Amino acid sequence: MAKEITGYVKLQVKGGQANPSPPVGPALGSKGLNIMEFCKQFNARTQDKMGTVLPVLITVYSDKSFDFVVKTPPAANMLLEAAKIKSGSAEPNRKKVGSVTWDQVRVIAETKMPDLNAFKVESAMKMVAGTARSMGITVSGKAPWEV
Amino acid sequence: MDYLEFKIKCLEEFREILIAELAEIGFDSFLETEEGIDAYAPEADFNRESFEQIIENYRDQAQLTLTEGLMPKVNWNEEWEKNYDPIAVDDLVYVRASFHEPQPGFRYEIVINPKMSFGTGHHATTFQMLRLQGEIDHQGKRVLDVGSGTGILAIMAHLLGANQVEAFDIDDWCVENGNENFDLNGLKTRMGLGTIRQVNPQGPYEIILANINKNVLLDEMKIYADLLAENGYLLLSGFYTEDIDDLVNLAKTLGLELKKSSSKDNWAALILQKD
Repeated sequence: MAKEITGYVKLQVKGGQANPSPPVGPALGSKGLNIMEFCKQFNARTQDKMGTVLPVLITVYSDKSFDFVVKTPPAANMLLEAAKIKSGSAEPNRKKVGSVTWDQVRVIAETKMPDLNAFKVESAMKMVAGTARSMGITVSGKAPWEV
Repeated sequence: MDYLEFKIKCLEEFREILIAELAEIGFDSFLETEEGIDAYAPEADFNRESFEQIIENYRDQAQLTLTEGLMPKVNWNEEWEKNYDPIAVDDLVYVRASFHEPQPGFRYEIVINPKMSFGTGHHATTFQMLRLQGEIDHQGKRVLDVGSGTGILAIMAHLLGANQVEAFDIDDWCVENGNENFDLNGLKTRMGLGTIRQVNPQGPYEIILANINKNVLLDEMKIYADLLAENGYLLLSGFYTEDIDDLVNLAKTLGLELKKSSSKDNWAALILQKD
């Protein structure tokens, strides 16, 4: 018989750096999960992405066991990295703080494909470009579909 | 140590942007909520100026609202720790908490009250380390436990007859908890605080125990090799079965020979011996 799911916890944690301090500790501890077990597993599974923020969806079962799925890093993190800047713009429409190329957008989109509701890489690229716009990062050149 | 708690409400599409930017100024984890994100930072080394700059940048466009609070550090693992099953490693050792009844039929017994520290025997890495320790003669030996957590492996070494046991951990909660567990099990040594480079233990040791993770083990293995006495044993765990080759290959270059490897639930443990 399948175990009964009692809830989900959505966290974003830097790869290899989960520890019992908040929010990991209180979020998992309040559901009766063994925090230390989660940290050991998460850190081992993400050891190759040290320091990169990774979304993780934790499924909590009625017997206080859990599963978790680690997703791809948020597009915003990858955009900051690609544009070599630390923060976006306060006025993204007027003040641009960096730029990326469509090739970089494509790489990010392809990385994000497994987690986006997009069937075609062009759709994923449009989503990533949208995030870039909200951060005041321009995408230089013409989109591949405009060429 | 207390934590500052920031409950941030914002438009959905700005959630990941805020996470990305807050991660750049030192926040290492976030809780996603219905309305935004919760972020936490240790009060002691919080960079308020950078934080407020980010909040101000996005206040209007993300329709952001912020509530700040203070969260004292407590044992968040208490709920799990109130009610878990003891662990038996073969007939070698029975690991229980104070609230469990003792169980006859085991060569050794360890009492651990974990208090948000790692090492209760439930995890396959701890389980295998205890089992491998049972295969190594500890009698009269000098033992070092690196990244000791609850202190469980150091206690096992003591029970197996080690003459001198040293242990340390980078987490101050582990140090406090480890010392409580040492007291519960008649171990007089005190746990140190810091990394192996900070603690700077003085070898040689006949046995070194390290259940940490792949990156740390690869980084520190040369130090372990240097601290080991001739023919001394290094017991390692905290990594996956598919990573065994990476560790064994490095060990070879440091004069450490693989004596045994074991695997449980895809977690590995190794016994290496210095030439």
